[in-house]
Amino acid sequence: MKIFVCAKQVLDPDAVNNYALAGRLEIGEDGKSLTQASIPELVNAYDEQALEVALRMRDNGTECTIHVVSVGEDRTAILRHAASIGADEIAQILSSHAEPDGHLTAALLAAHIQAQGGADLVLCGRQASDDDQGVVPALISEILGIPLVNVAKAIERVGEDLRVTRVTPDGDEIVEVSGPAVVTLSNEVGDPRYPTAANKLKARRVQPEIVNEADLDLADENSAARVQVVKQFVPDVQENCEFIEGATPAELADRLMERLREERILS
Amino acid sequence: MAHGSVVLCSWFGDAEVVPEEALAALTVGRNAAKSLGVDLEWIVLGPAPSGTPEMAGQQGVAVVHRVDNDGLGGATPDALVEALFQFCTSRIPRLVLFCQDFESRVVAPRLAGRISAGVVMNGVEINAPAEAPLRVTASAYGGDTRVVYEFADAPTSLVALQANAGLPEAAETPSSPSVEDFSTDLSGQVERVRVIEAAQSVGPRLEEAEIIVSGGRGLGSPDNYKWVEELAEALGGMAGASRPIVDEGWTDSSHQVGLTGRITRPALYVAVGISGASQHMAGCGAAKNIVAINKDPDAAIFRYARYGVVGDCLEILPELIRAARNRS
Repeated sequence: MKIFVCAKQVLDPDAVNNYALAGRLEIGEDGKSLTQASIPELVNAYDEQALEVALRMRDNGTECTIHVVSVGEDRTAILRHAASIGADEIAQILSSHAEPDGHLTAALLAAHIQAQGGADLVLCGRQASDDDQGVVPALISEILGIPLVNVAKAIERVGEDLRVTRVTPDGDEIVEVSGPAVVTLSNEVGDPRYPTAANKLKARRVQPEIVNEADLDLADENSAARVQVVKQFVPDVQENCEFIEGATPAELADRLMERLREERILS
Repeated sequence: MAHGSVVLCSWFGDAEVVPEEALAALTVGRNAAKSLGVDLEWIVLGPAPSGTPEMAGQQGVAVVHRVDNDGLGGATPDALVEALFQFCTSRIPRLVLFCQDFESRVVAPRLAGRISAGVVMNGVEINAPAEAPLRVTASAYGGDTRVVYEFADAPTSLVALQANAGLPEAAETPSSPSVEDFSTDLSGQVERVRVIEAAQSVGPRLEEAEIIVSGGRGLGSPDNYKWVEELAEALGGMAGASRPIVDEGWTDSSHQVGLTGRITRPALYVAVGISGASQHMAGCGAAKNIVAINKDPDAAIFRYARYGVVGDCLEILPELIRAARNRS
């Protein structure tokens, strides 16, 4: 079984959040990029969980080769990390666009998958923690003409089919799908594994395959971006908190309850 | 005006009333349609709740398109995408809108792929000038930033609107919408994803709660989550949680409020021991009133709160439960 895991490199969302909470998040001169050099770049955590699920399938006896692919420049560190925990093949795809949108990213990933002889299973994180868009997996599924199962936490091979546990707003749902399929994974997967020191060292010698957009057979209609980012800004927060005063917890509780009733928020 | 309109796509399953989010999305759509000088239309796939035409009229909808195939809904994404594909290729709408939820997160980008159109999720505002490219402001980094996207010139663009994109406002002049059947050919459609064991929805959903009490790491230990549940019960509401304590197993993920959990919009949201990370606020920012209880006076949650209590939540919770119970 050939599994492709799509991995995006993002700015550490926790660091971004810390800057935002401190009111110190800065947008660069281009009006759209976050410029703090101290914010590290990481692999999108949901994509890491997608790789973890592929590795768990192998642990559970599914014979598979695991390919990890990332679109963009300087992806060696995250791809080597993937190799250090068990990815068999790692590849970095270079786009001719400086900022490929979801459509172009999906087209590049789909074309690469096809050039590699196709996939039995494509795994992605449910969304990226930078733009939160979550459209690439669905677009890959449409380009490849295969089904999509989103927001999953476990995948099991049952005969020729895949049994997937989805995390829905109503609780867990179990679905089956005949491959090939795209499945997106969520944080409910749980913590991804760490490499052993020996494997970490070994992975330092692995070079990702570099794939150029020109090497891929992109259909004409897929080679253009459909949306582009023109601006990014930090939204204002209104900040009009009324602090409840009181000398003891009981007094604080009574005053709060009183205010909520005065304002008719509670009856 | 059949071509170039603004169309909201909805499917309601067995819902008995049109949810507020759909009306809010129609309001956003009406403003975009007005600015583009086109009609606002509404396509309802599967059963329509009673009162749909009246609601449409209040929102100034020109045409309600009905796709009346039995069983069309969230569990049939392949059929929804195919029906909307047929609609879009026949009518060429200028702007296709969705209320963003668990199901439209699949349907909207798949439709975009099928008709080769641009798509933006998490939309909070649409800027649709008649003579310039369409722009959409969307939430990013879990709400820490907003990104403005511009669509390339194309016949159709797709936007999914977040639950906090606005409140419904009735049109100045109500319309008398025509209700038309849009006939689709869904023969040969077999859902490729087969449900083996449906989710067992237990009791009411957080999304529909009027009062929510949520707990976070500030509770200190898993045992203390019971205070959150007790206060929720005393207030006649439901218990929620931040993602860190769900990840650590203090409660199950059906309680998780936030970007990747429930997107709630209660009248009262009580955040106990929650720092106010943007990822959490994405799930409760649309609450009408937020009460924050936190021992750190600089916690971000107070920036969003209407009322704040600075103190040890473990001391305050029992007192609040007492005060809430004494109320009646």
